[in-house]
Amino acid sequence: MKRLDCLKVLAPLVDEHMLAVTSLSTNTPFWFTVRPQGPNFFALNMGLCLPFALGLSVAFPKRKIIAIDSDGSLMNDSSSLITVADVNPPNLVAFVMDNGSYAHMGPTFTTRRTDLAKMAQGAGIANTGTVGSLEEFSAAAKQAMESRGPTLIVAKVERDAGRVSADRSRTSGRPMREWFMDAVRHHPDYKGGR
Amino acid sequence: MDQQSVQVIVETLKEEGIDLAVTLPEEPTFSLTEAMRQDPYFQAVTVAGEGNGLAFCAGAALGGRRVVFVTGVAGLLVGSWALSQMGMVYGPPILILASYRGDFGDHSGIPGSQLLMFKQVAEPLLGALRVPYRVVSQKATLKRMIQEGSFACQDYSHPIVLLLSGEVLW
Repeated sequence: MKRLDCLKVLAPLVDEHMLAVTSLSTNTPFWFTVRPQGPNFFALNMGLCLPFALGLSVAFPKRKIIAIDSDGSLMNDSSSLITVADVNPPNLVAFVMDNGSYAHMGPTFTTRRTDLAKMAQGAGIANTGTVGSLEEFSAAAKQAMESRGPTLIVAKVERDAGRVSADRSRTSGRPMREWFMDAVRHHPDYKGGR
Repeated sequence: MDQQSVQVIVETLKEEGIDLAVTLPEEPTFSLTEAMRQDPYFQAVTVAGEGNGLAFCAGAALGGRRVVFVTGVAGLLVGSWALSQMGMVYGPPILILASYRGDFGDHSGIPGSQLLMFKQVAEPLLGALRVPYRVVSQKATLKRMIQEGSFACQDYSHPIVLLLSGEVLW
């Protein structure tokens, strides 16, 4: 199962009112490819994607918040699973694109004994699962988008071939932040200064 | 922290519209975080790690919530990765109240070598992370410092740290 194919399946399920957050990995250029418009917060560094998305879920409790994380990133701060479970946001859906590799540098622990879905379940996240085919991913994603409660889906994907670039003015640092803030400031449920 | 300091902080946070309180409980500020947890005005969130706590605060703050993160110097050390990423790269307006463990007056029983480490590291760490901070050790200035810190973090669009010490904390 290829990561880009998963994200192509996911993108049509994410409407313009939903916020998406990606980890600093191939998730970022691929998600930018399939959803260049709309409120996206791209390229959060190791361990920060899931908890940042959790913060957005509290700020926008009536919107779905989509975290597109990766195995290496989640393992960097797996205690965030406990925080997610304790906050228990009904609007957070997390996808962990698990290619079993730190970029192109070899296997992560998920290729050996570590099961991130079971870790999430053990942390207290009720809706968890692992999918290994595009059909399974599609079904799990549709169900997650329609259900309440935090959901975490681990998608076993192949390693990506080579690096993929994206428009850095849209996917990186302060310029990306400004794109995101411009998008969310116009939401009627945004509570901050405009 | 005694009830007088707790009351001033809680009242001032309310006046500032800060209603999301995030913490990983630690002893010197426990009375404060418990007071916020018992107060229905606040949405009180306990996090399992300071790093994910700061990232959580950043998401909430950029989403428009007014947020306070209550921790200690040790928590700032643990969370320095998240603080560097969030502060320098994205600038979320987070007010951080941190007990200044290791400052003069800390008689809490932690071994002196640990206290000295906190004292030696805390302020240089914040300086290295380019996080504006103030030491607040007098009750007479506590309210104003929270007000000014709250204004500054919104105005700068950046995390601000108030290191609580002296009669405010001990």
